[in-house]
Amino acid sequence: MPTTIKPSKLNIRAYQVGFGDCFLLTFYYPKAKKASDKERHVLIDFGSTGMPEGTPADQMMRVAEDIKEKCGGEEGKLHVVVATHRHKDHISGFSTDGDGTGLVIKGLKPEVVIQPWTEDPAARKNATSLRGMGMAPKQMQASAAYISSLDDMHAVSEVALAEITKMADPKKFKQTVDQDVSNQVSFLGVDNGLPNASAVDNLKTMGKKHHYVNHGYKLNLSTLLPGVNTIVLGPPTIEQHAAIKKQKSADKDEFWMLQAATKEFWGLQAETGEKVKEIVDEESRLFPNAEVFQQLVPAHNRWFIRQIRAARGDQMLQLVRILDNAMNNTSVILLFEIGGKKLLFPGDAQIENWEFALNDPDDMELLKAVTLYKVGHHGSRNATPKSLWKCFDNKKDEIGDPKRLRSIVSTMKGKHGSDDRNTEVPRRTLVNALKKYSDYSSTEAAAKKGDLYEDITIDL
Amino acid sequence: MAFAPPRPRTRRLTIIAQDPSIKVDGKILTTEVEIPAEDITPGPRGYRVHVIDYDTSTNKHYIPLEYEPLKDGIYPDPFKQTADRGEGEKLVADPRFHAQNVYAIVMRTLARFEFALGRRVAWGFPGHQIHVAPHAFADANAFYSEKDQALMFGYFMGRSGKTRKFTFSCLAHDVVAHETTHALVDGLRERYTDPSSPEQAGFHEGFSDVVALLSVFSLQKIVGMLLGGKDARNPNLIDPSAITYEKLKKSVLLGLAEEMGKEMSGVRGKRADALRRSVELKPLPPDDLGRYATTEEFMEPHRRGEILVAAMMNAFLQVWLKRIEKLKAGRAKGSKLDRELVTEEGANAAEHLLTMSIRALDYAPPTDLQFCDFLSALITGDRELVPDDSKYGYRDILLKCFLNYGLAPPGKTDSDGAWTMVDDDRITYDRSHFESMMRDPDEVFRFVWENREPLRLYPEAYTKVISVRPCLRIGPDGFALRETVAEYIQMLTLRAEELEAFNINIPDGMSASQEVTLYGGAALVFDEYGKLKFHINNRINHAARQTPRLKYLWEYGFFNRKAFSDNAFARLHLQRATNRSTDMTEEF
Repeated sequence: MPTTIKPSKLNIRAYQVGFGDCFLLTFYYPKAKKASDKERHVLIDFGSTGMPEGTPADQMMRVAEDIKEKCGGEEGKLHVVVATHRHKDHISGFSTDGDGTGLVIKGLKPEVVIQPWTEDPAARKNATSLRGMGMAPKQMQASAAYISSLDDMHAVSEVALAEITKMADPKKFKQTVDQDVSNQVSFLGVDNGLPNASAVDNLKTMGKKHHYVNHGYKLNLSTLLPGVNTIVLGPPTIEQHAAIKKQKSADKDEFWMLQAATKEFWGLQAETGEKVKEIVDEESRLFPNAEVFQQLVPAHNRWFIRQIRAARGDQMLQLVRILDNAMNNTSVILLFEIGGKKLLFPGDAQIENWEFALNDPDDMELLKAVTLYKVGHHGSRNATPKSLWKCFDNKKDEIGDPKRLRSIVSTMKGKHGSDDRNTEVPRRTLVNALKKYSDYSSTEAAAKKGDLYEDITIDL
Repeated sequence: MAFAPPRPRTRRLTIIAQDPSIKVDGKILTTEVEIPAEDITPGPRGYRVHVIDYDTSTNKHYIPLEYEPLKDGIYPDPFKQTADRGEGEKLVADPRFHAQNVYAIVMRTLARFEFALGRRVAWGFPGHQIHVAPHAFADANAFYSEKDQALMFGYFMGRSGKTRKFTFSCLAHDVVAHETTHALVDGLRERYTDPSSPEQAGFHEGFSDVVALLSVFSLQKIVGMLLGGKDARNPNLIDPSAITYEKLKKSVLLGLAEEMGKEMSGVRGKRADALRRSVELKPLPPDDLGRYATTEEFMEPHRRGEILVAAMMNAFLQVWLKRIEKLKAGRAKGSKLDRELVTEEGANAAEHLLTMSIRALDYAPPTDLQFCDFLSALITGDRELVPDDSKYGYRDILLKCFLNYGLAPPGKTDSDGAWTMVDDDRITYDRSHFESMMRDPDEVFRFVWENREPLRLYPEAYTKVISVRPCLRIGPDGFALRETVAEYIQMLTLRAEELEAFNINIPDGMSASQEVTLYGGAALVFDEYGKLKFHINNRINHAARQTPRLKYLWEYGFFNRKAFSDNAFARLHLQRATNRSTDMTEEF
């Protein structure tokens, strides 16, 4: 297909996957000669960690089948798959286990798979493979160390999940830990635990070509998506992130030193957790030769034991939150530019990821002109940085204004965070702002109606 | 007839001198510390400390040791023999020793505070006994929690060379002293945990580091181990060329940082690193003294605290050197010195600075503390007790060391750098009673209210006396210095639009209707006749102080997060360990 052809229309199918993300972008090329070239499909994420009540049990399979049908059925074709980051609510559908939704996607023989640089399997084995990204040895080492910290974080998460499950067991404790805390630790623990190996493997093997991208990565998809310019705004590499931090620091080595220390911290935490889990599973103790209270503990110690257990719950919550943020910040941020239209798909990126683009004047020019915004991280408070929101020029409070920003969020209320602490997802204040200044859609509407998806069509 | 021996005032208990990675001849360095005597019940559980060895991660509660009662006038130390035999590893394997180690270090730190201040010192919560969990959880963290009335110490897999083994933060002297100091400072100056400025948050961390490090250096065994320059023929002597400023810095300060970094770096909130980085923090040139205070890097509380640590650790070396100079007097140039005397001088220098630092808290303003305020508090507190500083010149050394980091006494101080004494005829005493002024907050409030004009209180603010503390200190001349220290605070909640009337700038982006609380207050120091000697205050309507405070709090998101009610110390330590600071102004 000649690359001068431009798409005339775009359909965004936002699937109702509960708490997760799954978007199928279909670009229409009516002028294409071959019938098979008339539609081009991009799948951005396919995952879920919870469905609203009443959703059919096979919802994910229904989504997979619909993607297949939309892409042309048995002989269909998926052109691009984007897995923004490895959280389960973004990739669980790529799994080939169970009902095998991932096999359906694999069957569509995607040409290209796009993932963040932190997913590069070669970098896991050998840091020097990052040389391709133009890194100096120090940065390569730090980047490889960072990738390995992400693995340690999964281990920490798994252990926290096991520990909180025990602490919240009413058969074991008369007074368990706070329900809200244990729910949150469990939720984040599941999402951040060891990634679904089958989904990860499937993503690794399904595409003809893989791009492991970072900010500024030259992603040339013009053959697959003629007339569409795909720009990568995140995640930054460690080196790019360091450049931002160094502007603020008097000590130029500070960043790299802290980087190494952080790596060490997660390594220790992971090892500690695994060792202690082993001790608990063997019903042993930290000091095998020391005596412990078997039945009742002294009355004057009981108040404190309750306090310390609650403190431990809070502490685990803080830990899993930190690693949840770290994982979110590996999200690929993509901007599709088609003529005057600019569509922004930032995964779950938070400020530490956004920071690099927001400090780049050229990127800011692009971001100002965004016409459609896929709301980051299911509408949580920390994934739409205020400086990003402020820069959107197309925020209009007048309904019907043809230039009005479109926003779309895939979310599910009541799954994560709490109203009392202003951590609810989606965040009320953000939703209010989105409703006031943009044409807002949420997959919650599809859920309410029992629909599988909502379509948004954009004339290009 | 045999007489019963007198009941002792103190007892000695074995502790690990710094942490188990510090060894001499391959054996863990232990020492005995002297702490207030008491009949310890199982825990150990005493009049101020209650150790509860419950491990949340494995859900196990270890049975504590029964301590033997007083025998022949001595309280037996149950672990002394093991320590004397050099079987440190046995101590590390016994949780009952861990419990003793934390108990003894917490008590020793408390006793240091009480000695320095000449009175009982309360914890930062309404209760007499602090709970201490030596194996609270499997986590590289340790913290003070006001809500839980507790110190919690985690354990984790440490790396000692190539081997991996459990490392216990409760066995690290500096970690235990640091967390205990948080609990004590919180008792003495409860408003220092309020969100205020990076310097106030940095003070809690920096001051706790200073106390922890000086406590370690006040143990002669530690100083002796770190000190270089051993004479091969006579190990009891030391070559004077090994005791220059640069060499002491390298051997003692950086030496300790290196030792501390070996296996417990995970839990110190980078304290080993903090010590190293403090020592390496370069003094500022005279034409750029404001550099650290204005660099973004130093907005992070731990990093900011390192400035205080740097100034105090440099002062420690300078004082030590000055004391060594006295040892050299009358001896031939270059002749070797008695090693034990040199180490003793080091431990004494640390001990004296430790006492000065703690005492300074009484002379520090109760809200919005800045490091320069603390400097004047140090100078004032010491001068009141020891007017003649000519022997070692502690105060001059401190002034110079602080100035090297851009810290000079604030306004309202005299030529010594001490707070200006109150000299105001308008202050009246005739409606308050001297006797009750020494202990009764209502009586002190009456005095404050009567004198609100000369004290320049802001009349519309809520005013409260939050503490009244009598204190007695013995000076080097043998005479007692009696003082009463009281604190009052003022609070005023306004809408942002009302700030302009105070000449306080509204931070960019803050809405006119945003509620803002301003804090002010003072420490009142009364002399032995009940006359007001010092009025160390931060006025509530002081625009030059309130404007940057509000700007900082606004920019760092303190106005839009309920999460700040979480345990601040646990959060700070974790953020530091994970190299993470969030930019909350970016959040919805």
